[in-house]
Amino acid sequence: MSDLKSKILPKLWRFDLKTIFLMAFFLLLFLLGIFAFLVEQKYGLLVTGMRTIGLGGSAWGVYIVFDIYFVGISFAGIVTSALIRLFNLKILKPLARMAELLAVISLLISTFCIFADVGRPLHALVYLPLFARPMSPFFGDFTLIAGAYFFASAIYLWLAGRSDAAYCASQNLPFRWFYKIWACGYKGTAAEQTRHYKTSFWMALAILPLLVTAHSTLGFIFGIQGGRPGWFSDLQAPEFVVMAGVSGVGMLIIIAAILRKWLGLEEEIKLEAFKWLGNFLWVLTATYIYFMIIDDLTSFYASPKIDTLVALRTLFGPYGGLYWTTVSSLFAAFGILFLQFAFNKWSIGLTVIAGFLVNVAAILKRFIIIVPSQVFGTLLPYPQGFYKPTWVEISIIIGTGAFGIFLYVLFLKIFPIVPLEEITIEKEKILEPGPRSFFRKLAFSSVFLTGILICVITFLSSARFGTKPYLDPIIPFSPLLFIVGIFITFFSAAVYEIVPSVKKSDL
Amino acid sequence: MSKFKNQIILLVRQWFLSEDLSLDGQLTRRGLVKILGLIFFLLAPILMLPKIAFGRKKIKKKKKKFTGEPPGPTPKWGMVIDLDKCTGCGGCVAACMAENNIPISRDGELYFGTQIYWMELLDPQQKVGPELKQAGLIPLPCMQCEDPPCVKVCPVGATMIDEEGIVAQIYDRCIGCRFCMQACPYSRRYFNWAEPYWPETYKNYINPNVSLRPRGVVEKCSFCFQRIRNVREIAELLNQPIKDEQVQRLPACAEVCPARAITFGDLNNPESLVSKLSQSPRAFQLLHAEGTKPKVTYLTKTTGGLSRNE
Repeated sequence: MSDLKSKILPKLWRFDLKTIFLMAFFLLLFLLGIFAFLVEQKYGLLVTGMRTIGLGGSAWGVYIVFDIYFVGISFAGIVTSALIRLFNLKILKPLARMAELLAVISLLISTFCIFADVGRPLHALVYLPLFARPMSPFFGDFTLIAGAYFFASAIYLWLAGRSDAAYCASQNLPFRWFYKIWACGYKGTAAEQTRHYKTSFWMALAILPLLVTAHSTLGFIFGIQGGRPGWFSDLQAPEFVVMAGVSGVGMLIIIAAILRKWLGLEEEIKLEAFKWLGNFLWVLTATYIYFMIIDDLTSFYASPKIDTLVALRTLFGPYGGLYWTTVSSLFAAFGILFLQFAFNKWSIGLTVIAGFLVNVAAILKRFIIIVPSQVFGTLLPYPQGFYKPTWVEISIIIGTGAFGIFLYVLFLKIFPIVPLEEITIEKEKILEPGPRSFFRKLAFSSVFLTGILICVITFLSSARFGTKPYLDPIIPFSPLLFIVGIFITFFSAAVYEIVPSVKKSDL
Repeated sequence: MSKFKNQIILLVRQWFLSEDLSLDGQLTRRGLVKILGLIFFLLAPILMLPKIAFGRKKIKKKKKKFTGEPPGPTPKWGMVIDLDKCTGCGGCVAACMAENNIPISRDGELYFGTQIYWMELLDPQQKVGPELKQAGLIPLPCMQCEDPPCVKVCPVGATMIDEEGIVAQIYDRCIGCRFCMQACPYSRRYFNWAEPYWPETYKNYINPNVSLRPRGVVEKCSFCFQRIRNVREIAELLNQPIKDEQVQRLPACAEVCPARAITFGDLNNPESLVSKLSQSPRAFQLLHAEGTKPKVTYLTKTTGGLSRNE
């Protein structure tokens, strides 16, 4: 344990030439993205490759592709840390914080893609919190993902990091106030550990259904559009959930392998961890391949003519190359992982290659879902066209990704990426109530119920069931208050953990 | 701090005690007025609350002198396009562009896929999309569906269907997410990819009755709502219901059509020409299987019925 501390702590706040160069490089790419965004704001979306549907264009392009991709990779963060807590997976524990950080950062940068995509970002910034309506599938994207999912992951990351923050605050590190704020008076007592164990278990349990809902709402954006052949499918929502898992676990494997090498964590992150993730990945990939085959079979066998036409053009038309690359990378990744599983011989390099392949497949598959249905899938005989992203779109996407990597590297340098302090509490001791438990329970339940109440009221206020669908929320800023409600609900976990056991006067 | 407090006490005492109390300690009239004034001042925000809460409705009531609602039942506007009469001259497209301030080009140049056509001529002979058993061109306005998918998906309520069945776009509200363009099965919605542009000489011809759309919003055919509003206001002033003859050629496309192929009117009125024509055995609706209930009906001898299940 102390060995791990001696590995991690000296590297904090040490910006060697290599790190500075790396961070400067990604910051430069981010600035390129900012420049492209400014160009887009000056000339309008004309500078992108997107065009009107019906005039041969595609009204949604790579921004939406990458929004979904970034939201997708956040899946791994939450699922992995939830699984670690729920099933007490000791092998994966060193990966927990990496995964949580991946979730928080990728959710953050996914919102950039949305703002690059909309025609009037400033209006979106005001009108979405003010008027968003649950009838639109975008409501889910805006509230559940940018709000609930993000805050839940952030609170999870914060609470799980408290013990390490307390340790860092006791060390000779710059910005001690930062660690002190993060630690929130964590002392490492048995009662605190018990509480953390409890809250992380319940949060994990609450986050898993939230996650399925959030990824399903992303699928609904496409799946419930009857007027767009190729999108309209029941399978869209489960497919999005599974694909999110595939790309997220793949990304986590890549990050774990890079950090293992970079920080010299060969002893902590064992081959077993990669084995576990690899097994998880091949199961998810197999499920996705199954969904994909069913989807393609359905669109070829007896579906409406136009659906078949879109499917045909996707497979053998101008985007055929992308489609077959997707399919072959998925199969290759599955093959690599499954053979390793079958012969029980695991190699980190091969697993990382599989992780990379599924991420390529995830990006291309989203492109294949989104674009061909628009350029070929008009129900009336409009001229057909072609969409390809311009330099502005590509720069913004690269800038967004680079900003994510920049934040990740920055976090590596200011906070231990591997949990230093293990929770040593045994399961038998967990039921032991700590001092001041009544006050804590009261504070927790009042915060929790307030959050739920705000959620329900504001949801009903913006949904306005039984009235016309375009009416504004009864209470202004209901969608924003809905997010606040979700935040308060999840914050109740923090309240439960943080309320100190001993009165101040006793100290 | 205590010095400050003492000063305040002194001030209050001076204010009240100097003139407001008479010599025997009774409150003078002046003092009473002062106290009542103070109480009212404190209560005023509370008294204002109902005004703040229900003020909007009151203002609405006051304005109800002239509403633009003529006598008679609420109409449901619809359109019938006779494809057998249509010559494909494109007059409707040009008239629509002039009437509704549709920019001719983007930043002075024509870019692929950025043009806006509230009314468009669809060529079914293109053989690239789904086939259509129709020989000539098909004029395509917005179908003004009764169950519009575009209204459902808008995240901010920037598109709505009004009491008369017109699916309207609220440009000020639109954030430009283009979800409605995805949802429309007819692809009748257009996005402003760049600033609208008119050559200098054209700027004098901009119709003051139709708002100009900024960059970054979606727009669509409104059944020439400004003309409907005009007719409605005149009918209200004259206190007469709107007559069918007044509106048969009301939208710009119907007005200019040399073959009189486009008819407009009230679908709720069984006596209107548009109602009678839409009952014709030649009548069909585009993509009726989509279930959006379009209010634009086409007439043709060849069975058209461009449905998804054909």
